[in-house]
Amino acid sequence: MSQTKKTEFLIDTRGEHRALDAFVVAARFSRDGRTLAFALGDGTARLVPMAEPAGDWRSVSVHDGAALSLAQDINPSGFLSGGDDGKLRRISGDGEATDIASFGMKWVEQLASHALDKDKGLIAAGVGKVVHLFDESGKKLKEWTHPSTVTGLTFDAKGKRVAASHYNGVTLWFVAAKTDTPRRLEWKGSHIALAFHPEGEAVVTAMQENALHGWKLPDGQDMRMSGYTTKTTSLSFSKGGKWLASSGSDAMVLWPFFGGGPMGKAPIELAGGDGINCTQVACNPKDELVAGGFEDGLVVLADIGSSRILPVAPPGQGPVTTLAWSADGTQLAIGTENGFAVVVDFARRRM
Amino acid sequence: MAEPRQELVPVTVLTGYLGAGKTTLLNRILTENHGRKYAVVINEFGELGVDNDLVVDTDEEVFEMNNGCICCTVRGDLIRIVNGLMKRRDKFDGIIIETTGLANPAPVAQTFFVDEGVKARTRLDAIVTVVDAKHLPARLADSHEAEDQIAFADVIVLNKTDLVTPEELDDVEQRIRSINRHAIIHRTQRAALPIDQVLERGAFDLSRILAMEPDFLDGDDDHEHNEDITSMGFEVAKPIDPEKFNAWIGALLQEQGPDLLRTKGILNYTNEPRRFAFQAVHMIADGDFITEWKDGDPRSSRIVFIGRNLNRPKLRRGFEGCVAD
Repeated sequence: MSQTKKTEFLIDTRGEHRALDAFVVAARFSRDGRTLAFALGDGTARLVPMAEPAGDWRSVSVHDGAALSLAQDINPSGFLSGGDDGKLRRISGDGEATDIASFGMKWVEQLASHALDKDKGLIAAGVGKVVHLFDESGKKLKEWTHPSTVTGLTFDAKGKRVAASHYNGVTLWFVAAKTDTPRRLEWKGSHIALAFHPEGEAVVTAMQENALHGWKLPDGQDMRMSGYTTKTTSLSFSKGGKWLASSGSDAMVLWPFFGGGPMGKAPIELAGGDGINCTQVACNPKDELVAGGFEDGLVVLADIGSSRILPVAPPGQGPVTTLAWSADGTQLAIGTENGFAVVVDFARRRM
Repeated sequence: MAEPRQELVPVTVLTGYLGAGKTTLLNRILTENHGRKYAVVINEFGELGVDNDLVVDTDEEVFEMNNGCICCTVRGDLIRIVNGLMKRRDKFDGIIIETTGLANPAPVAQTFFVDEGVKARTRLDAIVTVVDAKHLPARLADSHEAEDQIAFADVIVLNKTDLVTPEELDDVEQRIRSINRHAIIHRTQRAALPIDQVLERGAFDLSRILAMEPDFLDGDDDHEHNEDITSMGFEVAKPIDPEKFNAWIGALLQEQGPDLLRTKGILNYTNEPRRFAFQAVHMIADGDFITEWKDGDPRSSRIVFIGRNLNRPKLRRGFEGCVAD
């Protein structure tokens, strides 16, 4: 961005930021929105009280090693954390860490959760080739084995199916099925990240070869989306599934999932042109806005309709590793490889 | 990249047949007091006698790449593990990857050329192959992998020398040399050798290796046109034209990639004060400028091929054809 005026970044006026001194692996807001958690490469989690982000960010020891995955707990105030110590742990909103399961030397790299009615819910953990399904209390329900290591894991929007990506495709498991006969979505090659369309219309993966692959549902028709300069590691559908935002190019790349797209349609590219690769994308849950984080630490917010760009965080803090929105779409959490962690408040100010 | 690169993590690949002494060497590395910490990626945890929080247990997952290269396979598990280890980069100085006894080293090596994320954070320091002096002849007779493991090596630990006579040992070393003329060979018992002979060697700073070899250019023409692996080195004194070299090596790797296990070179490009280091595994190539030529150093370009069906006159003519006009 070339401009003579000094660019103003929102983190200076509306952000609360800290240098945490460890790789920021993931950020998540609790379901009740009261706490923001950052999971770090030193095995701790930092809990940000959203009532007072400028206050103390409590440090909780969670893993003997690095945290690798983070998800919302079914309990509205807490979190779930997976580590390279083989532990799946629960972190309560007030900072207590307890074990759910231990997998020995295997890394807990993938985590997903889905809240159902009446405090019920499901927790899925991808550990090597196996997905372990637990209920809200941590009781093991099922175990699903895949042909190779699970690289992406997500529930569909209703919590009826779990999608797991791996070498040569995606497996769709039906949570309530009495006999586990999954649906296999096959495509040769290494699939390394996964997203489920919010209306259940498609499953999309990122592939080792700098491209995306998708399957339309229910017919399973293949979709191929290519042209990336590097591997896509982050995928995010916009509200209602109109757009799929993706990293892996020097812009945020958004594919249209409407009007017959994405097949035969060109994607739109936002905040590009400077040769720095986008590493993270996160669509706002309420509006057609997408946040993008880049390899140099730059974070921007883009209005998908108008392509207008709002600078959020300046370059210089290391590659952006995580972006997360609060459920109401007013708060954005940012983390980088160098340990820079921020929460930005987009809510209209009460004067 | 907008910022200067972080220091790349050195990676040592440890190969060798079952029973050759790989685990003994690994246990030495993990227990000896050398002041360095290594993250170790292993496949057979049961054998390792050391409790270490930086030991990662993995299943080798070899994936084909759909990148137009017919022999390109990578280790998908290593891509994930390297990524994961980078989250606690400050906890170790280097990474050691042990392969299973029967593993072909190509997918491991290619992973470090092909995956951008891995390439941006690590550098392949050396491929170390442990061989058993007594059983190597039998292994070479009955398996392709034993030969490949020697061909890929930068450093060879010729172990269990106490189980053979001095004559047998010389024969075995000759046999190794016939496959890989350019590796450094250490004779050991119970894999005992100074750790710095194995780790953080910078073996890919090839000039050091090449400089140590007075017989670098010695021919061994008996091995042309057959299925045995052999190695050949070539040297030209005049500066190389980068465009000519790229065209020649590109076509050669495309055409003969499956036969070429490893290609390594240090090149003297025209009007370039720095040395260009080139290396390839099968069809997958990589190159970068390294340190400057020192005053007084002979500024000649050298290249080494290790593989099958190598045609010496054709390779020589090709390399000599890259000289700048």
